[in-house]
Amino acid sequence: MPDKETTSFMRSLCMGQIEQEVLFPFPALTADQKETLHEIASAVDDLLVPRAEDFRHWDVAGEMPADFIEELSQFGLFGLIIPEAYGGMGLSNMSYSRTLQQVGRHDASVAVTIGAHSSIGMRGLLLLGTEEQKQRYMPGLATGERIAAFCLTEAGAGSDAAAIKTTAEKQDDHWLLNGSKLWITNGGIANFFTVFARTKQEDGSGKMTAFIVTSDMQGVSIGPHEDKMGLRASSTTTVLLDNVKVPPENVLGEPGKGFKVAMQILNSGRTGLGGGSVGGMKHLIELATAQANERKTFGEPISSYGLIKEKVGRMVVDCYTSEAVVTMVGGLIDAGYKEYAVEAAISKVYATECLWRSADEALQIAGGNGYMREYPYERIVRDSRINRIFEGTNEILRLFIALTAMNDVACQLQELASTMKDVFNDPIKGFGVLSDYAREHATLRTGLGGSAKLQDLDEAIAPQAETFETETRYLAQAADRILRKHGKNIIGKQFATKRLAEIMIDLFVLASTLSRVQTSIECNGVEAASREIDILRVFTREARARMKQNFRRIDNNDDELLKALADDAFEVERFRWDTI
Amino acid sequence: MKILVGIKRVVDYNVRIRVLSDGSGVDTDGVKMSVNPFDEIALEEALRIRDAGNAEEVIVVSAGGDECQQQLRTGLAMGADRAIQIQTSADLQPLSTARAFLKIIEREDPGLVLLGKQAIDDDNSQTAQMLAALWDRPQATFASKLELDGQSATVTREVDAGLETIEVDLPAVISVDLRLNEPRFVKLPDIMKAKRKPLDVIPLEELGVAAEGNLEVGHYAPPPQREKGIMVEDAAQLVEELKNRGLI
Repeated sequence: MPDKETTSFMRSLCMGQIEQEVLFPFPALTADQKETLHEIASAVDDLLVPRAEDFRHWDVAGEMPADFIEELSQFGLFGLIIPEAYGGMGLSNMSYSRTLQQVGRHDASVAVTIGAHSSIGMRGLLLLGTEEQKQRYMPGLATGERIAAFCLTEAGAGSDAAAIKTTAEKQDDHWLLNGSKLWITNGGIANFFTVFARTKQEDGSGKMTAFIVTSDMQGVSIGPHEDKMGLRASSTTTVLLDNVKVPPENVLGEPGKGFKVAMQILNSGRTGLGGGSVGGMKHLIELATAQANERKTFGEPISSYGLIKEKVGRMVVDCYTSEAVVTMVGGLIDAGYKEYAVEAAISKVYATECLWRSADEALQIAGGNGYMREYPYERIVRDSRINRIFEGTNEILRLFIALTAMNDVACQLQELASTMKDVFNDPIKGFGVLSDYAREHATLRTGLGGSAKLQDLDEAIAPQAETFETETRYLAQAADRILRKHGKNIIGKQFATKRLAEIMIDLFVLASTLSRVQTSIECNGVEAASREIDILRVFTREARARMKQNFRRIDNNDDELLKALADDAFEVERFRWDTI
Repeated sequence: MKILVGIKRVVDYNVRIRVLSDGSGVDTDGVKMSVNPFDEIALEEALRIRDAGNAEEVIVVSAGGDECQQQLRTGLAMGADRAIQIQTSADLQPLSTARAFLKIIEREDPGLVLLGKQAIDDDNSQTAQMLAALWDRPQATFASKLELDGQSATVTREVDAGLETIEVDLPAVISVDLRLNEPRFVKLPDIMKAKRKPLDVIPLEELGVAAEGNLEVGHYAPPPQREKGIMVEDAAQLVEELKNRGLI
């Protein structure tokens, strides 16, 4: 078995290793979990279906009434991931993600209110809180008596989270917090805040520390409700900290380790957002198919036309593959893997972009109706736009995905370089190192490595498995090549990094989908899984073309031309050419 | 006193029913299934009686395959104390269901049996009446109001002519109508609590009841599509239009 503390499927993949056991078989819910989820889904539907009209009004009004939030609390939606011992539901990551899917089908504002509480607001407490802290806060957080918010972003620190200016000064028996946090989801309804602030270390350096701040502390105040493009009914505000005295027992995790705490929370919370996105796609497929069957042009329902079928077919592929990836990441976390940050980032990028495309295409299918506020499409488009921005912009996540992998490759090369010194001191040990190196690189070049094969897959999906294997070899070679070419300067090479990230995203989605389809074939037979195999075929062919293109462009591209055009535009800050 | 409540797994009332192309039934693949709404009302009434201190235990019972455990769990999540599944792969007809329920009555000795007046899938509306006859106890059907008074129950029934109030001695079988109450929503923590409540599985054969029937299903067909209506200005035009269509 792979070591769950250190193994990451994607990070190994970038070095040419396929850790098949990590992804196969596809993670499945137990019969008991499934039954519970059926009941949860049914109860969620019963609660939210009658509210459809209200959701529309609250979007226009830009606010959810307090008594509805009270209803959500009573219903138990704030206790999803809190262990049963503290009065919550104790759902696994997969079950949590599936539950948010169900909520997301009805209303994104509700999903994000619940998600901001569980995925990030109180997750730090769950992951790193002391027993005493959990005893103090968990029961209230489970019932919704306490609602949580995650306070990292500031006016000058979004993607660049390390640049926060909020300070925490150690005084006699407390910390003194000062600063202001921006765009805090649940800000207006929360009374439990996970706040990140800069603390002065003994050595004078400023490091980040996470604190639990509650609204009853003197000096905590909330700004006005932000007027947003989408998710309008969810609360987003500033949170101001003016000489807030926080007791030392409210430090979350170790002082000075706040940045790591923030990343841990965000990584582990990404399944929530992915789940919400998949739920949105399922809802869009229902809307779009009903609309296309009903709407007639030229005497025929538009569902009979190829260009409509193309859109709906792609929505199905996007939804199935997104669900494969999101479920896979939830499964990895539930199985106890610790190194899932790259995979989680991929699932967030992929699922949010699929949802965006589905929302856009569903609106297109609805035509002029889609543009009218009477119909749900424009609201879904507005609601889903933020997904590509918050909880890590998709651009930053792409850089993160590729740079993490490249760092591994670099470490490996470095290790090799340092052990090379020993070659002359210890010929026997040195010989071993040398031959490992030679073998690995021969493997990458010739592609004959035994470890770079998927084993025991059904022959019905053999061509797709082969595509995965082939492109994996190219990936390892490309990572190696990019690194040799740019060395440390890779940090500044965002075009190249992005291409590598795109390839990694396609490969992880492909691997997760292969796993999902393979497991379906094993359970139900090839015939029953034939549509799923079709989905895999469509996805693989398109992903392969994209990957080929991205590989080609690593060396052969117009990056410099594009950059020059951009730099010129930055200089004049306008479009240079006009026809008059 | 124990109250026994019958529960049937049916296609959710919000789902648009699709008849299978060969007419052998309706499509339930991937379709949302729920507790028959009338049974939910029966359960809600039982829970209210218990919570008012007039009963000690509420038992939900359902006959069907293991998938009906989902609906029994919903019943437990609503607040029933325990559940019994009469396990059978057959689609039981009302008479067999009534016979099986009678066996459960003999085991449990309930003071009151509450059932929905009919299931929204086949709309038979027979099980309660047959059960009362087999058990040889009083019945009150289509209850819209129910008051317990020691050894008897006062039941208001919805009948064609209006409301009828009758008194029945307990134990009795009462089938409930839509307006009796409004069932509570299941809350998420209740779902977790329900997992720890007992759910007994008893195979139909063990009760000595055969899954036989006196009804034969010919085929299923969707109802004909309704034609679009028109708005009429006044009564005179209404009469005119009806005449035109040969309806009066």
